[in-house]
Amino acid sequence: MIDRKGLVRVLQDRRVADWVLTEREQELAVVDERAGLQRHETRTQWTLVVHDDGPTGRGSARVTIDALGGRPRDVVEQALALAKAAIGPAWQSAPLAAPAKVALEDPAVAHGDLAALAGALLAGVRVPPGATALRHVVVLREQVAAQTHGGLHATWAATAIRGGALVTAGARSLEIAREARRLDDLALGSAVDEAVADLRALAGAGVPIAGPCALVLTGDALLHGGELGVWSVFATQADAVVERQGLTRYRIGAPVALGAELVDEPLAIASDGALDFRIGSAPMGDGGDAVRRFALVEGGRAAGLALSPREAAFRHEDPNGGVRNLVVAPGTWAGIGADAARVVEVRRLRSLAIDAYTGDASLEIALGIDHVHGEARPFTGGTVRLDLLGALARARRSKDVIRRGAYDGPAAVWIEDAELIS
Amino acid sequence: MALNRRELLGGLGAASASAILWAMGCRTQEQDTLGARADADDVAAWLRSAVVRIATAFPAQAATAHALAVSRARATAAVDVLGRGVSRGRVEGVVLRVQLRDGAWHEEVTADLSRAGVDVIAGRLTGRSGGRDVAPGRGGPDFGPPAKLVAGPSSDADDPLALRDRDLLERVDAMASADTAISSRIVYAASVLDIDDTALWSVALGRQRAQRSVRVRRSVTRVAWNGTRPVISELARGWRGGVDDLAFAPAEIQGVSEDALALMTPGELADGDYDIELAPAVVAIVLDATARELLTSAAARRPEVAARLAVGATVASPLLSLVDDPTAAAAYGGFAFDDEGADARPVPLLEAGRVVGRLADRAGAGDAAAGRGRRPGHLGPLEAAPSHLRLAVGSGTRGKLVGSGLVVDGARGCVIDPSSDRVVISARRADAVGGGDATGRKWADVEVVGELGALLAAVSAVSADALTFPVRDEALGLPRWRSIETPAIATRAHVRARRRAT
Repeated sequence: MIDRKGLVRVLQDRRVADWVLTEREQELAVVDERAGLQRHETRTQWTLVVHDDGPTGRGSARVTIDALGGRPRDVVEQALALAKAAIGPAWQSAPLAAPAKVALEDPAVAHGDLAALAGALLAGVRVPPGATALRHVVVLREQVAAQTHGGLHATWAATAIRGGALVTAGARSLEIAREARRLDDLALGSAVDEAVADLRALAGAGVPIAGPCALVLTGDALLHGGELGVWSVFATQADAVVERQGLTRYRIGAPVALGAELVDEPLAIASDGALDFRIGSAPMGDGGDAVRRFALVEGGRAAGLALSPREAAFRHEDPNGGVRNLVVAPGTWAGIGADAARVVEVRRLRSLAIDAYTGDASLEIALGIDHVHGEARPFTGGTVRLDLLGALARARRSKDVIRRGAYDGPAAVWIEDAELIS
Repeated sequence: MALNRRELLGGLGAASASAILWAMGCRTQEQDTLGARADADDVAAWLRSAVVRIATAFPAQAATAHALAVSRARATAAVDVLGRGVSRGRVEGVVLRVQLRDGAWHEEVTADLSRAGVDVIAGRLTGRSGGRDVAPGRGGPDFGPPAKLVAGPSSDADDPLALRDRDLLERVDAMASADTAISSRIVYAASVLDIDDTALWSVALGRQRAQRSVRVRRSVTRVAWNGTRPVISELARGWRGGVDDLAFAPAEIQGVSEDALALMTPGELADGDYDIELAPAVVAIVLDATARELLTSAAARRPEVAARLAVGATVASPLLSLVDDPTAAAAYGGFAFDDEGADARPVPLLEAGRVVGRLADRAGAGDAAAGRGRRPGHLGPLEAAPSHLRLAVGSGTRGKLVGSGLVVDGARGCVIDPSSDRVVISARRADAVGGGDATGRKWADVEVVGELGALLAAVSAVSADALTFPVRDEALGLPRWRSIETPAIATRAHVRARRRAT
């Protein structure tokens, strides 16, 4: 039988150079109208990070254990063997730092019958007349306990709610998904309302007209895929490992794209994993590193990297917990003017493909609005290909902001030079 | 600065990366075979007891009470340019389920496969405690004939998990040494042997089943640098049965290196409409995405899908017939019964281009038959999913299906938008052909884009031979197994470079 005390005892007996053990006791309730399902699950999950120092360097391993059966000694031996298989240059762990003080538990979810709570949440999501929705929610509450080789003990409670729906109006449908730490932040009802509005626009949508245009990306297109959407290109470029390999365009101190530092409102992006009740927040990372706010882009220039303990040691800096919640500074742009020559407003995407190295992206449009001299014409289909790093670095950002999942930033961006391919 | 294996594989995006890393992870105690922790007869008795408790608590819904238990072991051996390793792991769990009067299915899940673990979740599901074991044929309810674990290897000598670490490593070493085409331009090479041994018990009133599935997957990966980008070539084969049943021939392994070493044409492919031959590996990811996104009971809840792919609708060329057949001999994705206990049977999906069926679980079956209720890792939430997809072969010659155009090979990924039918197929390379022969021009990283219906309707030829591809991906951290057996097809579509020339 695996338990935390047993694992710690073996780690100490084996004199492992450095380790971090995180235990998560989780309870989940699922209510899913698509499958007519109510599901309840309890589980315990351990994450073990070990560092093994040898004559040729340091090897590290991260293993997740979600089976109760087995022996702690076998688990530790497996983790150590994995670490030995990934030996790289030697480095030393940074001194312990205080975990971030951050609230992650919704009091409304902390106690009580989780299945009933999930059912009530689902029932509270209203669907506008003329539309239907097959809704689903997953409610999670967990107690987390982290312990490190250096003697740090930290415990915290967290909650998370994931919700979604297949929304149908007439002959068309849209899938939506939202994630939050608190019930009140999920806003699944408003997501359903927006989906119904977009489905009505889709009902009258025409075909795309190819040609040059200005491009406006709004909420669901901006955050396609339910996480960071187009902004994920900056998280990829700020990956310290990839940057060290020389495979990114992003270089600290240099403009993130040509002319990015010269625009009226240069881009500013920060990662902040210490925001209360945000999906990406945590007191500390799996590597025992304290989560900290740090700048990714300032004044249009690359300002910081996501630093794991290993990467931080190589660079003689402090680890920062990696990219978590992305905070993008809003701009002053107020919306599409009636005099615009041609603006394609993209409301939803069918797919978004981003090349991890170059930032080249293909955006397949599910719903767009073609604005020409004050007239708006909805359409579906078409592709836009962008140098996403350059496009976002030079884009005008709205003054309106949205807070969704791990994103906190402008609700829309205006990209001046784009071309719609039909 | 030196890279470690994890960084190297992460940077390259090799499909086998997770299996390679897993294999390099550990050298545990010697074999951990089934039966070591729980006797098969005991497990069946615990499940029967749980079903009786559920049926007693909900007599009107007794027929829907179902218990599923899994004991799953994995052994993976790999050798790559940085070292060699063997990894073993085990997962167990139980799912209890009943459909209540309100029509909702209620489930309780635990990772504790023991009498006490089953008792706890049975108590939760019924809201009562206590319960007793009920053996079949002793005055208790009828569970049908006793279930025995079947379909496993016939003896320890054939049992993959009875093989010692050194036996497994010998096999991957043999795969590595069979490659005479390897050269200094290959910057990464790996050979993997991945074995999943699953024992599954399914119990409901009047029906109990048990099966053992040993899934074996072998793969080789080669990476060569070409200009500013890595060229990755991979070959994978999977089956159920003995560890050496369908091993690679040396020529097949050499072919992987030769593919990786092929020099790409500088510059980028001009965007445009082309006559194309989609190689079997590319067809496989299209069929897989089509079946999962469009041809399931869940997908049919979308009105666009229900209208476009209604049973009887013609959606593809008459050359295309597709069936999902879990009974196919030795199929990697095959099974004897699904995770709802329904016996395996083939489900025709397309016949001569017409939709003739879809994959369904009990909740989504409606008037259709169920039989494809599958849970990731046998423990996750149910989903209607394919098992072994098989596209009927034609009469063409692979590599010569188009006279002038492109042969698109090296599957990277396929995204289908169910609501619009838009498809984006990413492939590692496109080889130009002219006059029926290869011209020698090859471009890396291309995308085939368009409407799936148009792509399939334009199919003008199908090759006479088929290849089979195993898929082992994960959902919620739990494995899903399936396979696709397909020939190459010729069609016409828009092809574009995936990355601009740098």
